[in-house]
Amino acid sequence: MKNRSRHRALGCLFAVVLALVAHSRAASAPKEKSDVLLSTMHDEMQRAQSSLGKLDPAPYFLSYSVYDQRTAMVMGSQGELINSLQTRHRSADVTMRIGTAALDNSHSQNRASARTSGSLPLDDDRNAIARELWRLTYEEYRKASKAYLNVKTKTQVNAQEEDTSPDFSEEKPTNHADYKDVAVNPDQRRLEKLARQYSGYLRKYPYIYSSVVVINAQNTRFHFLSTEGGEVVAPNAYIRVAIEAETRATDGMELMRVETFQAESIDHLPAEAEVGARVEKMASDLKALREAPVAEPFDGPALLSGRASAVFFHEVLGHRLEGHRQRGEQEGQTFTKKVGQAVLPDFLSVIDDPTQRKLNGLDLGGWYEFDDEGMPAMRVDVIKNGILKNFLMSRLPIKNFANSNGHGRAQPGLMATGRQGNLIVSSTKTVKDSELRQKLIDEVKKESKPYGLYFEDIQGGFTLTQRSAPQAFQVLPVLVWRVYPDDRPDELVRGIDIVGTPLAAMNRIQLTGDKTDVFNGICGAESGQVPVAAAAPAMLFSEIEVQKRAHSLNRPPILPSPVDEGASSGKNAGAQQ
Amino acid sequence: MNTIIRLMANFQRSLLPLIAVSLLSALGFAQQKNGDGKDDMILSAMHAELERSRSQLKMEQVAAPYYIEYRVFDLDQYSAEAAFGAIRGDARIRFRFLRVVVRIGDYKQDSYSGQGEGTLDFLPVDDDVLAFRHQLWLATDRAYKAAAESLTAKQSQLKQLNIDQPVDDFAHADPVQSVGSLVKLEFDAEPWKKMLQDASAIYKSDPEIETSESRLSFQAVNRYLVNSEGTIVRSGENLYEMNIAATTQAADGMSLTRDTGYSVGSIKELPTAADFSARATKLAETLKGLRDAPVADEEYRGPVLFSAHAATTIFSTLVGDNILGHKPELGKNARTTGGFAASYKSRVLPDFISVVSDPTISSYKGESLLGHYEIDDEGVPAQRVSVIEKGILENYLIGREPIRDFPASNGHARAQIPAGNPMPHNSNLIVSTSQPVSKEELKKKFLDLCQQRDLQYCYSVETFGPNLLPRLIYKVWTKDGHEELVRGAAFGDLDTRALRTDLIAAGDESHVDNHMQKIPHSIVAPAVLFDELEVKRANQNKEKLPEYPAPALEK
Repeated sequence: MKNRSRHRALGCLFAVVLALVAHSRAASAPKEKSDVLLSTMHDEMQRAQSSLGKLDPAPYFLSYSVYDQRTAMVMGSQGELINSLQTRHRSADVTMRIGTAALDNSHSQNRASARTSGSLPLDDDRNAIARELWRLTYEEYRKASKAYLNVKTKTQVNAQEEDTSPDFSEEKPTNHADYKDVAVNPDQRRLEKLARQYSGYLRKYPYIYSSVVVINAQNTRFHFLSTEGGEVVAPNAYIRVAIEAETRATDGMELMRVETFQAESIDHLPAEAEVGARVEKMASDLKALREAPVAEPFDGPALLSGRASAVFFHEVLGHRLEGHRQRGEQEGQTFTKKVGQAVLPDFLSVIDDPTQRKLNGLDLGGWYEFDDEGMPAMRVDVIKNGILKNFLMSRLPIKNFANSNGHGRAQPGLMATGRQGNLIVSSTKTVKDSELRQKLIDEVKKESKPYGLYFEDIQGGFTLTQRSAPQAFQVLPVLVWRVYPDDRPDELVRGIDIVGTPLAAMNRIQLTGDKTDVFNGICGAESGQVPVAAAAPAMLFSEIEVQKRAHSLNRPPILPSPVDEGASSGKNAGAQQ
Repeated sequence: MNTIIRLMANFQRSLLPLIAVSLLSALGFAQQKNGDGKDDMILSAMHAELERSRSQLKMEQVAAPYYIEYRVFDLDQYSAEAAFGAIRGDARIRFRFLRVVVRIGDYKQDSYSGQGEGTLDFLPVDDDVLAFRHQLWLATDRAYKAAAESLTAKQSQLKQLNIDQPVDDFAHADPVQSVGSLVKLEFDAEPWKKMLQDASAIYKSDPEIETSESRLSFQAVNRYLVNSEGTIVRSGENLYEMNIAATTQAADGMSLTRDTGYSVGSIKELPTAADFSARATKLAETLKGLRDAPVADEEYRGPVLFSAHAATTIFSTLVGDNILGHKPELGKNARTTGGFAASYKSRVLPDFISVVSDPTISSYKGESLLGHYEIDDEGVPAQRVSVIEKGILENYLIGREPIRDFPASNGHARAQIPAGNPMPHNSNLIVSTSQPVSKEELKKKFLDLCQQRDLQYCYSVETFGPNLLPRLIYKVWTKDGHEELVRGAAFGDLDTRALRTDLIAAGDESHVDNHMQKIPHSIVAPAVLFDELEVKRANQNKEKLPEYPAPALEK
């Protein structure tokens, strides 16, 4: 966990969703006849446009994005409530561009100069909203005009950049208003009950030293307005249950399991019994891991489960397909010049489709209708039959890709960049999932290796895309088995990381399973935390490299848990419920 | 459980400053009365786990702990914020925070430094003994291991150093048992939110006000402390704070800020809606006054008169921070880390001024003080400490970390809510004079001085902003005593030396300044007159005025 977000690394928290609940749209609100917020945004934008338009330099683009968000977070541990929060917040982002689309204040390292953020009143108080927007707008004008001067000077002084694309793409403005909510705000007491219940499941396992259940629900209404004439009102929502449990092996190695369940609304989450069963498995996995031997460095055939493959593709491939990474002078640009060339074996194709709401009956975490630049979401064929076709584009153009494809995403307050939505890997060279283990054994024999590895689950990972660092990735497997070519049973091992370089690793995929697994998660990068999904079949690699994981040498707790000690049980009379 | 803290931290960062928490499970805790604490679930869980650790916690080749301390802060807080007459957010947050300190070694030399200064964790807000003990157990284990590493690191560092006058690491203290009443937070939020809205609506009367905000924070804080020496302390306090702040720009672009507020210990002491609104109106007026005021002259050297309110800021900054007995880092020979490190038994103020820090009193001439407590956050009873007597520095404020010549705590170790280490801190800092001068006499003395120096005017300061920059400063004309507000002034040499040599008189009426942040404390001081200070023009960036006018108000 601690290594997950390293400097300049893109770390994503991933895990599986098991929901198999019938999809139903939440009750829809009537279309609002008078949206005070939107009309005030409109009036202020007009005032800004006419006033600032007379100045030198004048902005050529201005947009207002307001996220009206209701957030709930509940934490439980040991069957008890740690915390329960709910809040509503309206954040406003004012985005301004000065200069021309060819060269503006957002150029290169100055992207942050295009945005100023603040909080708006929660009431529909026209005076107060207007006043705050006015202040944010003139502050942004100062920031943007100063940055524009710097940009102009720098471009005169510096050598010509490799990619001379404009700073802002030309797009047709979108008009769309959807006031329906994706989900109703979950009842806080229901969330609290779940946090108590799920965290209570782990109480009966004294070897699980610490555990926590975090339930996070977010319901957003996005309002977007631009001087190009774009106007979007769109909803989004997710709820996520994360269950973490930690133990320690006798040599001090921290062992952790995380299960997460993510859906559009609480009713789409799996039934309580199903969550209970997953938690039981976490507990038994951890028990087995404590007793498992430490793995040795290894280089040989490996099978990744669908879940593991999806995380692997998100980290190792997905981040390198994000448009802005092809242009940054600091970026490693692994794929920039590979368009039209094979980057994967020819039986694999990859799309990113934020418009897809479900797969195999599960909600996809990366679903949205409009991106954070007000562009409609689009399905993108990124890699077709192994050939690189496209990138995930925001409105920051790159060489040969002049337009957005609806992947400009950001958390409120940050500038959008090309990001993943639902990354879906498909294969034409498949075997039945039940045959995969035998295929792995065949490969082990062929390469005369003592064993192969089966990666059942990968927690997450990080990837380095900057030039200053090696173009490497590391993913953090949590359940890894040695599969022997003889009759010995599979053996669970612990303490390894997969390492390697992306292009080499990807081209060692031999074949895949025939079922697609879905992973939902929250992904962090330069433009902040956004919900995403990745989906892939299980994959057989002819070679994967693993290294030993650094770990603490701290011993397990010295004293037994107070529960083991037979401390008096039962709750303080009258203290609760 | 580091994970939880990280998650909480992330969550709080993303939603700052407003976070809400539900209180549905807070039933049990508010009804307990004074007693021995045996019926208190939290104290009994702390006690049980402490006993178990004290008698059994021991690793091979590492000494057993000689001291273990558990502290729990139970915080229930409501905060709300309005801007431009509308609520921007409100939230209620409730959590319990645990801090565990395990010390290895002995009182002379122990593990308390760096990671050995304790471990932190959340505790459930549900009252469940086993869940509590589970968290205490893990935090104690972590604290013990951290202490072992810390002691080793410290010992190897000490080998490199030559310590002339070694001072103990930890002071002995008698165990204390005091189980005080718990407090809760009970109020109806709506009228208070309305007050914030009304106060932040002052921009409507003045189109040139650029920001106008109002905030409140109400807290109920219950503290629990148990240590292996036998100390058991429980106490509760309420804290209420309301503020108004507004900014504008002068025609030349100078940024101007005013803020005002109330920090009190009882909801009854908060202002009425009418008073709060009047305060806001007054603030808007002074802000307008500042905007229209001339800029201070480039050069001035001469007498300056400070109101009692302004004097509280001076004493807080130049005395309050320097009398804290912080132990310097290993190898440093100084007595403390502050500006008075070398001033023990020396003159730091004129001989007619004395200063005490007195946590044992809860009010001063009828006004309540926020720096009152009975037992400090290390379990040591509060003590009145005579810090500066007739201008001579006689004492530092210290906790259980001794400094040279101060081997024992004087009950001034206080911890920031919710997770700070106990550190020496002011309580009620009371500045007094043996030669009080009436307000009229003081002004006369001031003007006489101006006359003697052939100055056309002198300066008087009403209030300060941050960094000892005056907010409301007036030119007082020598010929007729009339006052004229100026802006953009700064002091050249308002420092501890000036305090010692240039402070020549003090008034007979004191101002009480209460602060809720970061640790509740109060400063009480009379008006003071300096015979010579340098006042210059502040080196302040001037921003441009807004590029276009504010939106017109809609009725």
